[in-house]
Amino acid sequence: MEIVQRLVQAVQDGEDEDALALVQQAMAAEMDPLTVVDALTDAIREVGDRFERMEVFLPEMMLASRAMQKALEPLAPHLEQLREKRRQKGTVVIGTVEGDIHEIGKSIVALLLEVNGYAVHDLGADVNALDFIKKAQEFEADVIGASALMTTTMPGQQEIVELLKDMKLRDRFLVMVGGTPVTDAWAEEIGADAWAENAMQAVAVLDKVMEVRRGHASATL
Amino acid sequence: MPAPPYRMWEILERARTGPFCEDEAFTMERFLPKMREVIRKHGIEYDPGTPIPSDDGLADAVWQAGLEFFLEVGVLCVDTHRIITFDESEIREALYLIPGEYLVGSGKDSRRLRNRHVEDQDPPFVIFSPDISCDEELFLPMCVAYLKEPLADGFCAPILEESMGLKIKAKTPTELAGSLEHAMSLREAARLVGRPGIFLVAAGTAESDVAQISVSQSDWGVRTTDSRLVGGLTELKIDNALLNKVAHYQQFGCFTGSLTGPIFGGYAGRAEGTAVLQVAYHLMGLLVHQAHYQMNFPFHIHYTSGTTRELLWVASASHQAVARNSKIISVSNGFLNAGPATEMVLYEAAAHALTSTVSGANLWEAAPARNKHKNRATPLEARLAAEVGHACSHMGLTRKAANELALKILARYEDHIADAPLGSEFQDCYDVRTSLPNEEYLELYRRVRAELAALGLVFPY
Repeated sequence: MEIVQRLVQAVQDGEDEDALALVQQAMAAEMDPLTVVDALTDAIREVGDRFERMEVFLPEMMLASRAMQKALEPLAPHLEQLREKRRQKGTVVIGTVEGDIHEIGKSIVALLLEVNGYAVHDLGADVNALDFIKKAQEFEADVIGASALMTTTMPGQQEIVELLKDMKLRDRFLVMVGGTPVTDAWAEEIGADAWAENAMQAVAVLDKVMEVRRGHASATL
Repeated sequence: MPAPPYRMWEILERARTGPFCEDEAFTMERFLPKMREVIRKHGIEYDPGTPIPSDDGLADAVWQAGLEFFLEVGVLCVDTHRIITFDESEIREALYLIPGEYLVGSGKDSRRLRNRHVEDQDPPFVIFSPDISCDEELFLPMCVAYLKEPLADGFCAPILEESMGLKIKAKTPTELAGSLEHAMSLREAARLVGRPGIFLVAAGTAESDVAQISVSQSDWGVRTTDSRLVGGLTELKIDNALLNKVAHYQQFGCFTGSLTGPIFGGYAGRAEGTAVLQVAYHLMGLLVHQAHYQMNFPFHIHYTSGTTRELLWVASASHQAVARNSKIISVSNGFLNAGPATEMVLYEAAAHALTSTVSGANLWEAAPARNKHKNRATPLEARLAAEVGHACSHMGLTRKAANELALKILARYEDHIADAPLGSEFQDCYDVRTSLPNEEYLELYRRVRAELAALGLVFPY
């Protein structure tokens, strides 16, 4: 148990080499991989919560995330068999829309979704609307997240929704939009499924719409 | 003095020939550890009790840390994955060559834009700017309203979302149309008001390099006596389209402003890192953007504003650092939480202008409602900020006295930052026919101005 506590501390402190060594110790001591993964998951979620409470800032969260990735490396052989037991909240492809080169807001949302249990595929910035959809299909995503930081790039979000309709895929993916000039009124106008005012709200908003979607899916099954 | 441009083609070429580095490694292996190191090495510490510090040693430490940080980290071109690096002698040479003063605008409307000193008794150069987007039909009345303000030394217009009723989308023909409309209408507004040669910063509607280049036209568009902005990518990154703007602005012959806003809570971390990064951005502006002046808008990661206690400290510490150690012309951009026609927005504007002016910056005022909501900006917020800037310089206000005043002003709005009121849209508190404020907002402005005077600010009129 002491190893797990030290591991949690190492991840939260962003000490990637220490985290790796401690996971290796845990494996050598034949600890249950699921226990270790759960401890890591809780540790990184706690860092995400601290970020929301402004107790830590982005560098600490990034270093913790990197330590988490490093700690997961020795567990990779076990992860496949654990996958059944670990329930992921959903899969998200996320990017900044075409013509827009601003990344940080989208990157923070991606990081927060990841630490809160979503599988996230970050497509980067200046992403064409069709590329969002193709990648969402490729990764069998539940959600397309589109960020826009300029008023003149916001139409790129609308283009994704319009293309989904034209491709008869509108019901296949949830579309979440965000970015500094993006408002709930704009999200409603273009027919997006979700809008978050900032990165911190994005997780709660997505949890809610995913819950509604799952409820709807089970009701229609 | 000839610079800028300063060895422009040699520096731009480094975006193709500099050391290879991937994005993530640039941030994780270079940026983050070096930032921690320089903050620790120079003992830089934020003090919430002094949003306007008076310690020259702190200002010089922030400068030195920013210089070392910039030298070690460089600027990453994300298209080529190459780092543009510099040696210290180049930085020293470029700093030496800065003239520190330009005559901007033209004819009777031309003004002197210069670097200011800490506690400078010359008033700041004030660029009025709503910093938001607006409805197409409000563009002209808004421009006229701002241009009617007597303290406006320069003006930057709102951003269009539509042109001829069509939604503007970046990198498409609608962006070219919107940018053209922006430049033409702005020029028309300046002429109508009787300030045809006023220093204009344009065209904000043109996000892409192509759209910016399309409005370089001295008859109806952006002139060589005007200015354009070139930004960066978060943090200390750039791409080829931005470098295209750099080269074009120099070849066209207008003034270049370097537009950078380090994020408090982002890669730079806390207030200390944000201030150090802001100094590094001044050097990036000088050497990569080839800028004549630096436009700064450090902002809070959660609120997208620059008037929290920490961000006032960032503005003060970084502007003092630059003012004490270089001739770089610095302009401080207010990002306010509350919207127009609220008491809070006026106090925020006052706090930002006070902090920036006494710390050695010029002013760019202001972006209300967190720079987010269409039509939510008016000239009155900018007017009050400009008046506060003029008041502090005329009074010869010291940093210590300014800090006492800032603490009193902070007490008026600080608790409401998280739930700041959105206020009104331009057309709800201004007469769009006359481009003048309504009596209700004027009365609020007068009351807050009187309260600021009661707190100790002596307005020159």
